[in-house]
Amino acid sequence: MKMTKIYEGAHQWVMFGRDENKPDNIIDSNQYIVRTANKCLLLEPGGTELFAPMMAAVLHHAPVDQITDLFASHQDPDVISSLGLWDQALSNAKLHAPALWEGYIRNFGCESIEYVPIPDNGETIKIESVELQIIPAHYLHSPCNFHVYDPQAKILMCGSVGSAFEAANAPVFVERFDVHVEKMRAYHQRMMPSNQAKRAWIDRVRNLDIDILAPQHGRMFKGDDVKRFLDWFDSLQVGTGV
Amino acid sequence: MNSQTKSQFIAVASITSELSAVMVVAKEISLAAANAKAIAFRAGDKAKGFQPITDFINELAKETIELVTNINVYALLLYRLTVNEYRRTAAYNRFEQVAKLATGASYADSMQEPISHAKTMMQDCQRQFKRDVTQLLGQLEAVMHHARAARVIAANSRIEASQAGEYLQSLQAVAESVDKAAHTIHDNVQRCRIALSIYRNS
Ligand SMILES: [Fe+2]
Repeated sequence: MKMTKIYEGAHQWVMFGRDENKPDNIIDSNQYIVRTANKCLLLEPGGTELFAPMMAAVLHHAPVDQITDLFASHQDPDVISSLGLWDQALSNAKLHAPALWEGYIRNFGCESIEYVPIPDNGETIKIESVELQIIPAHYLHSPCNFHVYDPQAKILMCGSVGSAFEAANAPVFVERFDVHVEKMRAYHQRMMPSNQAKRAWIDRVRNLDIDILAPQHGRMFKGDDVKRFLDWFDSLQVGTGV
Repeated sequence: MNSQTKSQFIAVASITSELSAVMVVAKEISLAAANAKAIAFRAGDKAKGFQPITDFINELAKETIELVTNINVYALLLYRLTVNEYRRTAAYNRFEQVAKLATGASYADSMQEPISHAKTMMQDCQRQFKRDVTQLLGQLEAVMHHARAARVIAANSRIEASQAGEYLQSLQAVAESVDKAAHTIHDNVQRCRIALSIYRNS
């Protein structure tokens, strides 16, 4: 599992992905952690197949008993099907996930972990002194979906938005936006069902100060590519991929 | 899923299916008993020895139904336990994998606690399963005992039926059906016991 530190301040952000031992028929996904002095939040913990390499990678940054919080943007298996295993590994953890999906996500196994439902209009969660904004991103692509914005690190973990599928050895940041666009187009046209929802999200996100856009699949966007992505997504007609 | 777990799932599932067949047959016996009672009543003195037998058959059928109902509840618990054991074992195996992959990581040692916890939970499930299987085998033994008793009664009924004059044929038919039913119950329960016996407490 490749680990890339994407923010280093009073707290840290680390991106995990490009697992070279992943079975070929499982899609590659990015996982993130927000590490504070005594706590660790796992964003999009990933699928069952990825659990062992992911947990082993986290142990480079935090001991098991400090993995206190998990976040799932939506209910898909590549996002959170590992829950049943985390549930047996962690004795004192919370899962922040959409209220709407509680009854669905619990199917993955959630007995010792506390399910903290996120209301439709989002909320703020605190990991020690770090405040994270949970931003609604409904219908992008799941009908109930959230992103995580860290105003201090200026990172927006944007779930499925901005996702692309890449080779295992692909760089973690977009290098040539014009080339990268072609890897995203079909996915966004097919997976994002609503231009109206996309519009609402873009309006909301344009007001945020963002250095890094961190999606759940593919490469991250930084610097000017953030604005390039928003402009490109703004002009893309979605819900047309069939 | 390994083959040990698979066969455990199958063994537990087979109890429920064998027992639902036992239930059907036990109800048949109970019906046969009611039928026999009516005939014996009509036969009057000619079937005097037969009357207490019909009551006994009925009692036996009722007890069998009750036993099987209890066993079914137990079998469901056993199924849940199997699911739980499967979950625990899967987690334990993954955690071992984590420890292997985390070699050299700063916090690799912190994995020891979840591993030993998972191991304890897994072994608890295995022990509990063995305990429950042993108990279930005991209950199945009780059903077989009933089935054997029913066959003895069926044999007695045949003798009594021979005294019943013109009712001979219908009473003999009753005895026949009780015997057949008891035989089926015996076979089904025996299959359950064989499927489970490899898991019993040694
Ligand atoms: Fe998804």
